[in-house]
Order: sequence, then structure tokens, then C-alpha cells
Amino acid sequence: MTQELQIELNGVDKHYGAFHALKDIQLAIPKGAFVALVGPSGCGKSTLLRSIAGLETISGGEMKITDEVVNNVPPRHRDVAMVFQSYALYPHMTVIDNLTYSLRLKKTPKAEARKIAEEVAATIGLENLLDRFPRELSGGQRQRVAMGRAIVRRPKVFLFDEPLSNLDASLRVHMRKEIRALHDRLGATSVYVTHDQIEAMTMADHVVVMRAGVIEQQGAPLELYDRPASQFVAGFIGSPAMNFVDGVTNADGTAVTLEIDGAPELKLPRQVACNQKVTVGLRPEHLSISAAGQGTITTKISVIESTGSTTYVGAGDTGKITIVLSERRDISVGDTIDLSINAKDIHLFDPHSQMAI
Amino acid sequence: MMTPHLNRIYLGAAIVFAIIYLFPLYWMYVTALKSGSEIFAYPPTFIPKDPQWGVFSHVWEVRGMGRFIWNSLVIATGTMILVAGLGTGCSYVLARYRNIWIDVALFLVLMLQVLPASLMITPLFVGFSAVGLLDYPRFAVILAVTAKAMPFFVILVRATFMAVPAELEEAALVDGNSRVGAFVSVVLPLARNGVLVSAILIFMQAFGEFVYSKSIIQDVNLQPASVGLNAFMGPNTVEWNNIMAYATIYVTPILAAFVLLQQRIVAGLTSGALK
Ligand SMILES: Nc1ncnc2c1ncn2[C@@H]1O[C@H](COP(=O)(O)OP(=O)(O)O)[C@@H](O)[C@H]1O
Ligand SMILES: [Mg+2]
Repeated sequence: MTQELQIELNGVDKHYGAFHALKDIQLAIPKGAFVALVGPSGCGKSTLLRSIAGLETISGGEMKITDEVVNNVPPRHRDVAMVFQSYALYPHMTVIDNLTYSLRLKKTPKAEARKIAEEVAATIGLENLLDRFPRELSGGQRQRVAMGRAIVRRPKVFLFDEPLSNLDASLRVHMRKEIRALHDRLGATSVYVTHDQIEAMTMADHVVVMRAGVIEQQGAPLELYDRPASQFVAGFIGSPAMNFVDGVTNADGTAVTLEIDGAPELKLPRQVACNQKVTVGLRPEHLSISAAGQGTITTKISVIESTGSTTYVGAGDTGKITIVLSERRDISVGDTIDLSINAKDIHLFDPHSQMAI
Repeated sequence: MMTPHLNRIYLGAAIVFAIIYLFPLYWMYVTALKSGSEIFAYPPTFIPKDPQWGVFSHVWEVRGMGRFIWNSLVIATGTMILVAGLGTGCSYVLARYRNIWIDVALFLVLMLQVLPASLMITPLFVGFSAVGLLDYPRFAVILAVTAKAMPFFVILVRATFMAVPAELEEAALVDGNSRVGAFVSVVLPLARNGVLVSAILIFMQAFGEFVYSKSIIQDVNLQPASVGLNAFMGPNTVEWNNIMAYATIYVTPILAAFVLLQQRIVAGLTSGALK
């Protein structure tokens, strides 16, 4: 598959003094892609994004934007637009002046700049706020201005640094769709940083999971969900998080015995090394509750939380195994239940390297 | 919680201190207006019986105050421009970069502030004389006062710049501006109040400067009002009303400006850059 690349990172490193913030980053982003960088706080997502913007100088490796090496190119010559987490609106300028700032720098004639900004403002619902100052806007409106300021430029690449994290939950869900629709309409390339895996999974074509300055795994959202390369990715992608249980494979490597009460044995979809200690990963939504004696894992319900549409069940003495049910069941705390799972939904990890087996 | 009782005690104390502090100023004004005999009357009068309003124009003429005030203005303006011009960029750098050398620089800057002018004047005089700066005495004084006033300005303005989020500047860089452009179009407008107020304070400080001017400027025609006032006060002076009239003319404009601007000055120094 040959696809035109918009951004290419080859072995990019970033040091802050003695601190190694980005380690050997390998990333190829095709034109028109929506890529999400996701990972826990402090893992280097912003640093990577800021390096692409040119706000940080990388310490090693090579970075290309549309085939041009940009290692030492200042931000203004990279033709990228960025939406900051704090929005970074210019407080001393009105909305329209914020929107036209980049156009004025490009010496776009005043009337034309205003026309472009007004068009953009209309598409994102800002047309009545053009003469306000940022301090006179609500959080959601500020967020829109920040987006508008990026859109006005028609850049090669959009960079987003947790743009929705200061909004309330319902607005966040709404803006998620709107940003993705905007991306599709503009045919732009977007790199989107978030710590929220749901945002990453729902918005992106390609998800990059980072941990401690390293790319842990990257791929299509469902690929990460179905085939996590490590226990970290398995635990990070998916909500509620995957259950991890210690286990040992049996003498011929076709089943695994869980090290919990009753020592249940689960059949494996394929043969693995025999008599080996493993970590078994079971997604809460893959576990189903069957009548006593009909499942493989016999346990007791210790917690039930229902949101109406979804029920979260905690099983085992400490509620250590979570099960998600989408239908209502006649169950209560203290009931003994049997759990079952399809063999193909069982994940195995090496307890030492934490990599998938 | 403060009780109303305690509140009243604090208020009373504040008023007493204000009176003690402002009394010399009041005495300057009333003495200027008194006649020669009333000045030495015992017990002293607190309100002049027969105010001599003509004293001001008299002193202005006789002492050639126009020239003195002009020289003070030249020195104060020159100092303000030089301090603001050099100090703004310096403060910005000290606000934006964090490393050990910045801390060293800040320490040195503060140390300059500790050294008294009367101590610095001798080496400065020798140095200025060596490079021929004493031929331009007012300029030499401007340089010396600039060096003296710079730390004060840098400390104040640095704090103002630190209140401007770096992300605003980064947004401007990504939006297509250069570093200098981002500074001028985004950072400076947001720090404007702090810079202006600090510059005004420097102006006021330089307007009253005495030690350097007294030592460096020998030519009476180039001396500022502070030196002129000092020369007025000989060992056997009896013209206290004239001296006080001189002082009144000298400080009243500055005082008035300060009172008029005080709300903005306090606001400029305390409020964050963003509002
Ligand atoms: N200017 C800096 N100087 C030193 N360390 C930094 C700097 N910026 C970020 N870091 C460190 O780099 C790591 C990654 O930061 P960041 O990219 O902001 O993480 P996040 O994934 O939360 O966006 C953090 O440990 C942070 O402390
Ligand atoms: Mg971040």
C-alpha cells in the first residue's frame, strides 16, 4: 500500500536535560488521516505534539512534513495549526481579530480576511459573537473560537492538545462528533492528543498508545481492542478496564487454570507453551452470567451497579472481576453465579515482560 | 474575624502614622506661604495668618527655576526611555527562560540594587572621567541613574511578563508570527500596564535624583532642580519661605501626578496582566 505521507517521524528523541521525554518515536501519518495520541498523563503526548508544531526542538531523529525535513524549521513555516488545551485565545483581541490574526500576518487584504473569518464563524456557530472579547465567552464558545482560529488558516495539519478536556461531559460528546465531521469536510490531516481512550477510539482512524515516552502500540482502534500487544494497552483501551487474573497453562498448553477459588479451567483457542505462568485478560463485556453449573467460573456477586441501560457486576470476594451486562438480570449481591467466556476472547500475557502471548 | 473594636484601633493607628508621615509635606506648604517673621514665631502657627502667594513667582524668577526644572525633566525623561528600552527586553528574557544562569543574573541584578549611590559615585566618576563622559554631564547622570534604577524596573516588569501565559505566545508562533512579532503583538500589549506604570515610577525616581547629579554636573546651567535646591540652602540660610516655595514648585507636579494616577499604578502593579 503506497499512501502519500503527511507527517513522518523517524527515531525521534526528545530530552529535557537529563529527562528522556520521547524515546525513538516511529510514526507515519498519511494525508487525510485522523490520528489520536493517547496515554496516561505525563507520558509525552503533548511533547510529541509540540515537537510536530515546532514549539519544541527535537534532540534526535528526523521529522518530515510533506516530504520536507522540518527538524529546524520554526513553527511559522510548518503550515500547521494548533488548538491548545487552554485555548490560548488572545485576550486583548475580539473574536474576529483572533480569527483573522494569522490572515493578517499573511497580509491578506482586510475585507477578504474578514469574509473568510465570517464564513468559518458561521459554520461553527460563532456569527453572533464576533465583537466579543474572549473573557465574555463561555467555555464552549471559547473552544469554538480556538477551533475557528485553526480552521481559518486552512493548514496542512491540525494539531489538537486535549481540546475538550475543559468542557462538561455532554458538550464533550457533542464536540467529538463535530470535530470529526469537520476533519472529514476539510479533508485535513489531524493529530489529536487525549488521555481519554473513548475519545481516541471513537474519533480516530489510527490510535497511538504511548507510555513513558515510548509508543506502546499503534493501529486501527478495533485492532488495538482485539489484539492488544501488551497488558498496558489491554488495560488502557476499553472501558471498564480488562480484568487480569493470574493463571497457569496446563500440561499440553490448550487450557489455562485461573488461580482463584475453584481453580476454574478455561479452554484456549490455540495451543501455547505448557505449564507456564500467565496473566489472563478477560474483558468485562465478554463475560456472561449463566445459570449455576453451566459456566466455567463459579463465583459470588459482591457489587452491583446499574445505570439503567448497563449493569456493572463485581464478582469474587473483593469484586475483583468486573462483568458488564447490557440486559437486566434477576441477580442480587451474594448470589452464586457461573461465568462463561468464548475461547477467542481470552487474552494471555507474559507476567514478566507483560507482552501478549 | 476582626471585631469592630479592633478595626477602629487599626484605623486610628493608620491615621496617626499618616499624619506623622505627611506632616513635613504640610509644613513645607505652610512655611512657603508664611512671612519671614511668622516662620520664627513661637508658638508656631499652623495656618499662615497672611499667605504670601507672590513667593512662588518670585522664587521662580530669582533662582532661575525654569532651567533647573528643565534639566530635571531631561534627566528623568532620558532615564525613563533608557530604562524602559533596555529593561523591557531584559525582563522578558528573565521571565521566560528558566535555568541556573538566569538565577545568577537575577541575583546580580538585585545586588546592584543593594549598593548605595553614594558608594557607587566615586568609581563611576573616575570611569566617566576616563572615557570623557564628563563633557556630557547630563548624559552621564542619565547613564548612572539608569544603572541604579534598572533592577527595580526589571524586578517589577519581569513579574508582569511572568503573568502572561507562554501558550499565548506559542499560539502566535504557530499562527505564523516570528518570536519578535509574537512579543510585540501579543506579549507586550498584555504586559502594557505593568511596563507603563514601572516606567512612570522610574521617571519620578529620576526626577528627584540628587547624589549623581550633585557630583557629576558642575555647570550650574545643567544642574537639575534637586541640586539647585541644595545650593539654595547655605549654612546661614534664613529664607525658609523661599526655599519651601522652591520645594513646593519642585514636588507638587509629581505629587499631583502620583495622586491622579495612584489607582492605575496600584492596579497595574498588582493585577495580573490578563483582565
Ligand atoms: N519544558 C519541560 N522541561 C522539563 N520537563 C518537561 C517539560 N515539558 C514536559 N516535561 C516532562 O515531560 C513529560 C511529558 O510531558 P507531556 O508531554 O506534557 O505529557 P502529557 O502526555 O501529559 O501531555 C512529563 O514528565 C513532563 O514533566
Ligand atoms: Mg498534555
